[in-house]
Amino acid sequence: MKKIKNDGSFYLNPYLGGVILGTVLLLSFYISGRGLGASGAVKNTVAATVNVIAPQHVEKSAYYSQFAGGDKEPMSNWLVYEVLGVLAGAFISGIVFNRLKLKVEHSPKITSRRRLLFALAGGLVFGFGAQLARGCTSGAALSGMAVLSFGGYITMVAIFGTAFVVAWILRKNWI
Amino acid sequence: MKEELFASGRNIPNIDPYLNIWHWQIPGYLFLGGLAAGILLFASFFTIMGKENKMEATVKKAPMIVPFALVLGLFFLFLDLKHKLYFWQLYTTVRYESPMSWGAWVLMAITPLSILWAASYIRELFPKWDWKYDILKKAEKWLIANRILMAWPMGALAVILGIYTGILLSAFNARPLWNTSILGPLFLVSGMSTGAAVIMLMSKDHKEKKIIGRIDILLIVVELFFIIHLFMGFLAGSEVQINAANLFLGGKFTAPFFAFVVILGLIFPAVLEIFELKGYKVPIVIPAILILLGGLIFRFLMVEAGQITRYLY
Repeated sequence: MKKIKNDGSFYLNPYLGGVILGTVLLLSFYISGRGLGASGAVKNTVAATVNVIAPQHVEKSAYYSQFAGGDKEPMSNWLVYEVLGVLAGAFISGIVFNRLKLKVEHSPKITSRRRLLFALAGGLVFGFGAQLARGCTSGAALSGMAVLSFGGYITMVAIFGTAFVVAWILRKNWI
Repeated sequence: MKEELFASGRNIPNIDPYLNIWHWQIPGYLFLGGLAAGILLFASFFTIMGKENKMEATVKKAPMIVPFALVLGLFFLFLDLKHKLYFWQLYTTVRYESPMSWGAWVLMAITPLSILWAASYIRELFPKWDWKYDILKKAEKWLIANRILMAWPMGALAVILGIYTGILLSAFNARPLWNTSILGPLFLVSGMSTGAAVIMLMSKDHKEKKIIGRIDILLIVVELFFIIHLFMGFLAGSEVQINAANLFLGGKFTAPFFAFVVILGLIFPAVLEIFELKGYKVPIVIPAILILLGGLIFRFLMVEAGQITRYLY
């Protein structure tokens, strides 16, 4: 076996990574009966936080009341635990491949500040979109396509199609 | 004092069918008590082994926070008392069959001892410190010369304190989840592990961190073994004990217990520590904080779940 360089420059072959991710998704369906997800954990955390601070608002809101309020327990959710596991696993991967340090990755042509602001803006738009689409890349596209859901394919095409266009518009941030 | 008269053992508010008397104060205290016991045990062990200059954080720095942890823990216990002004009555009697009496007297002995220990190192850590009075300076000299003499009883009392944090629950024989003597050693080991985590957070010496990290891995393995045996014991017991265990094996405490205590509080930090020993770069604050959180959540879950379990159905 080829020796892996331990200077943080080693990345897994993306095709192999995809197969491993697919296997994780399969196992997730088999073990927990649910697909993978990411934005759902954030959504439930937000709903739980709002429920602590303004429970009346949660009751009145058609959106929040689906997840929190009453005897619903938004934090007692498989996605919340799954995301904790993702963090733990990513941490170990960072240790093994020697990439564990605090840094902002950005093109040398832009500042860290600009990179973070764009990341925040992109995250906001994506979070909003994920809620309109009832799921993000993992929850709607990946898990959806795995069960041949038509919505999953549309989400995938929409996410990556838009990404191609927007990446071209904002390319100056990277190249 | 307002007394209440019970004519029946059933349907008593806050006692039957569910106990509802112990809130955040008790697990908070159990956590601080276990942590203090762990630190003091390590401090006295390495002092007796003559390693006080090689294990600075263990013997000198970490014990500085022990008096504060113990006093804060005792304050939590005080807050829990219904008749707060009668707390001194614990010290009018010695009852070896009562865990509360054991705890009260052990704390009475180990708290001043931990203060003396911290005082004997305070000038070494804070060179500008001045004791002002000659008598205090003389006392300090005596303490410094007799640290080994302090270390032996401190170590022994630390073990009793650590075990007592579990026995306080297990002596409560009306609650099946608590009524197992394995809680004593389990809480001792868990307390030692949280103590080790504090030492790792405070230590700047790579060698010391490595020694404590190695001990901590062993403690985590022992703790996992005890947890497995705790549930094995319950499952081999009567129906009420099986019900108690099922709270954690499919019941409402399953997800938080296995996610936060077993995986994120024990196995994951142990894996990180093993990577650290293997030479990978691991920021040690991550496993240390996870161990502390895991220990705290463990005590909250045990106290909360224990109050729900019952013998009478």
